[in-house]
Amino acid sequence: MFTESTVTFIALGAIFAFSFYAVLNAGQLSLGQAGFASVAAYTSVLLAPDPDVVGDLPALLAALVIGTTAGTVAAVVLGLPTMHLRGVFLAIATLGFAEAVRIFLLNAEWTGGAQGMTVPKVVTPAIAWAVLAVVAYWFWRSAPTRYGRALEAIREDELAAGAMGIDVGRHRLGAFATAGAVAGLYGVLWAYTVRLVGPADFGFTAAIDGLVTAMVGGTTVFIGPVVGSTFLTMIPEIQRALGVEAGWIRPFVAGLLLLVVILFLPGGLAGRIPRRLRVPELDGADGEGGAVGARERAPRGDVVARLTGLSKDYGGVHAVRDVDLEIHSGELLGLIGPNGAGKTTLVNMISGLVAPSSGEARVLGVAAGRTPVHRVAAAGVSRTFQHSKLFGRLSALENVLVGGHLVTRPTLVRRLLWLPSARRDERAALTHAARCLDRVGMLDAASTRANALSYGDQRRLEIARALAADPSLLILDEPAAGMNQVEAGELARLIRSLADDGLAVLLIEHNVGLVRQVCDRVVVLDFGEIIASGAPSAVAADPRVVEAYLGTEA
Amino acid sequence: MQQLLNGLFIGSIYALFAVGFALVFGILDRLNLAHPAVFAASAFIGIELVTVGGLPFWAALPAVAVVGALLGLIVERVAFRPLKGRADAHFAGLISSIAVAGMLIALLQWRYGAETRRFPADTFPATRFDVLGAQVTLLQVVIVAVCVTLVVGLTWLVARSRLGRGMRAVAENPTAARVLGVDVDRVTATTFAISAALGAVAGALFAMNVNSAQLGMGSAIELKGLAVIVVGGMGSLPGALVGGLLLGVAEVFAVQYLGSAWRDLIAFALLFGILLLRPQGLFGGRRARQV
Amino acid sequence: MTQPALEVEHLSVRYGRVEAVRDVSFSVAEGSLVTLVGANGAGKSTIINAVSGIVRPHGGRVRFRGTDITRTPAHKLVARGLVQVPEGRQILATLTVAENLAMGGWHRGRAAARAIDEMYQRFGVLGERRDLPAGTLSGGEQQMLAIARALVAEPVLLLLDEPSMGLAPLVVNEVFDVVAQIREAGTTVVLVEQNARRALRAADHGYVLRTGEVVRSGPAAELLADDDVVQAYLGTA
Repeated sequence: MFTESTVTFIALGAIFAFSFYAVLNAGQLSLGQAGFASVAAYTSVLLAPDPDVVGDLPALLAALVIGTTAGTVAAVVLGLPTMHLRGVFLAIATLGFAEAVRIFLLNAEWTGGAQGMTVPKVVTPAIAWAVLAVVAYWFWRSAPTRYGRALEAIREDELAAGAMGIDVGRHRLGAFATAGAVAGLYGVLWAYTVRLVGPADFGFTAAIDGLVTAMVGGTTVFIGPVVGSTFLTMIPEIQRALGVEAGWIRPFVAGLLLLVVILFLPGGLAGRIPRRLRVPELDGADGEGGAVGARERAPRGDVVARLTGLSKDYGGVHAVRDVDLEIHSGELLGLIGPNGAGKTTLVNMISGLVAPSSGEARVLGVAAGRTPVHRVAAAGVSRTFQHSKLFGRLSALENVLVGGHLVTRPTLVRRLLWLPSARRDERAALTHAARCLDRVGMLDAASTRANALSYGDQRRLEIARALAADPSLLILDEPAAGMNQVEAGELARLIRSLADDGLAVLLIEHNVGLVRQVCDRVVVLDFGEIIASGAPSAVAADPRVVEAYLGTEA
Repeated sequence: MQQLLNGLFIGSIYALFAVGFALVFGILDRLNLAHPAVFAASAFIGIELVTVGGLPFWAALPAVAVVGALLGLIVERVAFRPLKGRADAHFAGLISSIAVAGMLIALLQWRYGAETRRFPADTFPATRFDVLGAQVTLLQVVIVAVCVTLVVGLTWLVARSRLGRGMRAVAENPTAARVLGVDVDRVTATTFAISAALGAVAGALFAMNVNSAQLGMGSAIELKGLAVIVVGGMGSLPGALVGGLLLGVAEVFAVQYLGSAWRDLIAFALLFGILLLRPQGLFGGRRARQV
Repeated sequence: MTQPALEVEHLSVRYGRVEAVRDVSFSVAEGSLVTLVGANGAGKSTIINAVSGIVRPHGGRVRFRGTDITRTPAHKLVARGLVQVPEGRQILATLTVAENLAMGGWHRGRAAARAIDEMYQRFGVLGERRDLPAGTLSGGEQQMLAIARALVAEPVLLLLDEPSMGLAPLVVNEVFDVVAQIREAGTTVVLVEQNARRALRAADHGYVLRTGEVVRSGPAAELLADDDVVQAYLGTA
């Protein structure tokens, strides 16, 4: 049953699955892999030297290089317009691309139409498995790097990833280019295995097969795709052995499997395996902490954010109206106001998530809202969100590692080359993350998945993640929501200590008691306008503030 | 003139098919990738109804619509409803609908085999007319009439009827719709049923027109349907109609001036060009719901 | 004594691991106006949503005119006359004013047309703008539309969630006038408010909530005179 060709096909199926996995891992769906594979196969067959002239292996190597390049180029060209759009557009563009390529190849004359082009058979099982090993190596080594974590963070929460300083569009394009390259490898190997490139091999069924294999295996590198591919490759073999003639069984089982996995096992089989990451010991000595670049911070008292005439309208409703405000480093500024007063809109503008309708938010030298979010983050703004936006399927420690994106060094290339400095940098990043976790008192929960944490712990984890970016301006959006008195008290001490370290902290809070207790200065927002500002005790006694909260006496 | 008519006529089928995509996307903000499989299934079922069931063509069409609606309900139930409330529902819905599409096509293969099926030769009278010097068959006239009537009827339904109002309420704000007493699950299922019924009629008409049904016909038209909704602005029904006709005409002229190998690339060129230059589509305004 | 319009017993609601509402009980007499007040995050809206079938309670029981409705979905409750004006108004911005009102009459068929005409009389501005998208109305007008839309459904029990949120003081007065009229017309009202003073002044009975629990309850006038209620808002100094 395991003939030479089935063994080869298992490896090929697994390689193809990796090209799907490359994009799925970044939270997007691309259906164009079959298109990349056929572009790669046809290009390499046309351009690569004849094996009879240069020898089998050199010809195949040349073809693989050509194919990988062709696949990558196709992916980048296709990906460019869609990377900043919603995920559904990538699915559409890629699906359309795959189909367009197939139809074109079918109708064009130089491709041999439906007959395809003949190719010498060069690929042996050993070659196929060697290429699979290289591909698997790439994914194995790249996963626990800054780049790999950034992709996972984008998958879990795009908005939060951007707010951590990750350039979402560029990382996605990277993942997509990887998919194109790997699909290219597959296409070339396929052609040199079956001795033929024909449009029929790169159709809808092929796409489903690749998707199923990638989804079922989930994130388990190597084992998942190989198991999935073995299963799908063997179904027809088993049928043949049993004498069942039914071509529909295999696609039906593939579809059913895909459905079951997406409905009941969204993380694939690997989602069931707990994530393990060694939590570094924090024993005072920080011999390796130096690699994490502490960023330069504005001297105490400097203006870190200046808002002038800042306004935001939503279809005629003034959410924020003509706000002027300065935030200084080392200052703990409270922002309070009744429900619907515009507090969240205001901080969304300061952190660059929302563009103002008029006015300007000058934050650490950039115009927030008119610059991409990740640039605002890079300037030194870090924040938590009112509704927790953690990377749910990542562990607490991994969340904080992503938070440190801006202050850690890229390690991908060096990890692929096994350079010792990569290991050092990774360890330094881990130590840095562990320290941030420790600061909010959550080191014990380092290995717990974020979405399994209690509400209060999730809020604290968000603070640790924001701290890991070593910000100059830290924005906390209702960090004490859902906490009891004791927890809120601990949180208050933590926030105070951060401001004492020289950070500018903007605290939005409904618990007025907490704000009065810790803030240096309080700003009260009502109907999108600042109605009071000053020392906490003075503001709390202001009749307009009492009115805004409790309603008019009259 | 002949070319223009041919284009409008094939374009009307594209429009009818694409309007099913657009309806589900516009109301529910989901791309249902099982739609092309329903299109293919209905073509085969329509042929069986005529050849085996002995139904005349005009009676087979409503029957196909009913079968399509049932398939739509199944797709909603199996591929979309279980994802309700999940954070990754957008992404998962694409995959689950692809899975259902694969299963549906596999079942077609099981029942009808891999060969091409055809309507019997005498299903439709081969009457011809002269319109402004161009040749038009009765079948073409009927196809255009059915497609345009259905698309316009659907647009009216969404804009004016109680159900349409409910659909738009669900589209804009499902929670508000629930608060007002709308059974959101039911409106959702109905939307899928209508969408699939239209796709089914499109499938039967398409098979009638080219007089063949193949397993791959769904994925062949899928690209065109996607191009049409991207051009028309994803959820826009009038956009889908205009986009469909536009694509049909563009294809016909491409064949004439560029050669037939280019015909099927027109759809992709339109799709890619619009994504590059105007992602909201030619007719798309702002979308009520964002990610 | 007649049967209460609404009885809530030991209600608890969880979002994941967070217990947003803990063991809350209250009852609302037929024809009365009861208010739930409390700071943000106290669980007021969650209680309203649990009563109206939008969220599923984790424990406890809700009875509407003697019938257990704890697990009844929202759309069936609206048909029975338990109608909510949700927090943040939730008007359908892309639908016209007339269509919004028609959505209020989703279950009433032709009978809704007369109720809608009445609303045009009662809220003149809605009549003037009936063919405009509801999103073009001002905040106060949108709130009136949300209330009018609920009234088209002919509520027996009306749940009002923060009707004064984000409105200017003058408009808040108008909203409270309308609430008083509704109550005088015999409809039972549950009013959730952050604007505690106004709400307690309008109500017969009040419940003060804090972090998901009822911390005080009693006749509205008594609560209004009580300093502890103020403290529940501004926190202890």
